[in-house]
Amino acid sequence: MSKAAAVPPSPLSRLWHKWRFHLNILLVLIPLGFMPKYFHDASLFRGDSGLGEHEIGEIAVGPWTLQLAELRDDAPRADGPAGHFKLFNAALCSTCINEVKAVYLRIGKPRSLRAAGVLFSGTPYRMSANLPIPTNTRSDAQIWITIEGWDGSMQQSAIPLAKASPATIAWLQQQGGK
Amino acid sequence: MTFKACRLALAIALLGAAAPALAHNPMCQCEPIAGEQIKCTGGFSDGSGAPGVTLDVVGYNEEILVPGKLGEDSSLTFKRPEGEFYVLFDAGPGHVVEIDYADIGEP
Repeated sequence: MSKAAAVPPSPLSRLWHKWRFHLNILLVLIPLGFMPKYFHDASLFRGDSGLGEHEIGEIAVGPWTLQLAELRDDAPRADGPAGHFKLFNAALCSTCINEVKAVYLRIGKPRSLRAAGVLFSGTPYRMSANLPIPTNTRSDAQIWITIEGWDGSMQQSAIPLAKASPATIAWLQQQGGK
Repeated sequence: MTFKACRLALAIALLGAAAPALAHNPMCQCEPIAGEQIKCTGGFSDGSGAPGVTLDVVGYNEEILVPGKLGEDSSLTFKRPEGEFYVLFDAGPGHVVEIDYADIGEP
């Protein structure tokens, strides 16, 4: 028996050798805890669970209709100095896809087509727009949908913000809104 | 051991270096400055500036009072117009920021 083998292992080494198997099992189990959120997000982004967490429903805008939904049923998210934003998804009706040039979203009635708000981008079956939510937005505010057609026409429709995003109204009240 | 620690630190540093997807929402701030002037600064939320981007001052009657473009420092200074107006930072369709005159305040 050599001299080196007689040296007793350090307490840390003993602890490691005793528990390393259990620690590794734990490392395998930890990701399992995130699985429900992962599958929820995966189905949300793939569209398997619809346009978003909070479906607002079908909205008629002139001769056209679109389905509108909030991607997340939660408070607006901060984007640094640019303020807070809320992501909305929309799908155009199948017959209006070829007729619609652009869809805009804005809090309050747009002053002009140039300032019609944020533009929806993406495929007509699932477009997204990141709507800025000023902290001084009134809780009775309306969100305006402006659709520009290829024929040059412009159609508008409004729905209450309280209906479009109850979570945003709750957040605005926390911000001390009017 | 030191080598192992260095490798671990490098791995963690590399993970941290993976840039998260950055949105680039337009933003614009206007402040009153001396001499009845207003200075507006534009940019994007990913930190980039907006030199050369259109910034118009528009009256409530939709008449363009001050047509302008942001300078090299992403800002524009103009004389405060009379009456009701809003500042429109226009980086293209859907990339606009409006600032009402009531939100600019007095110096």
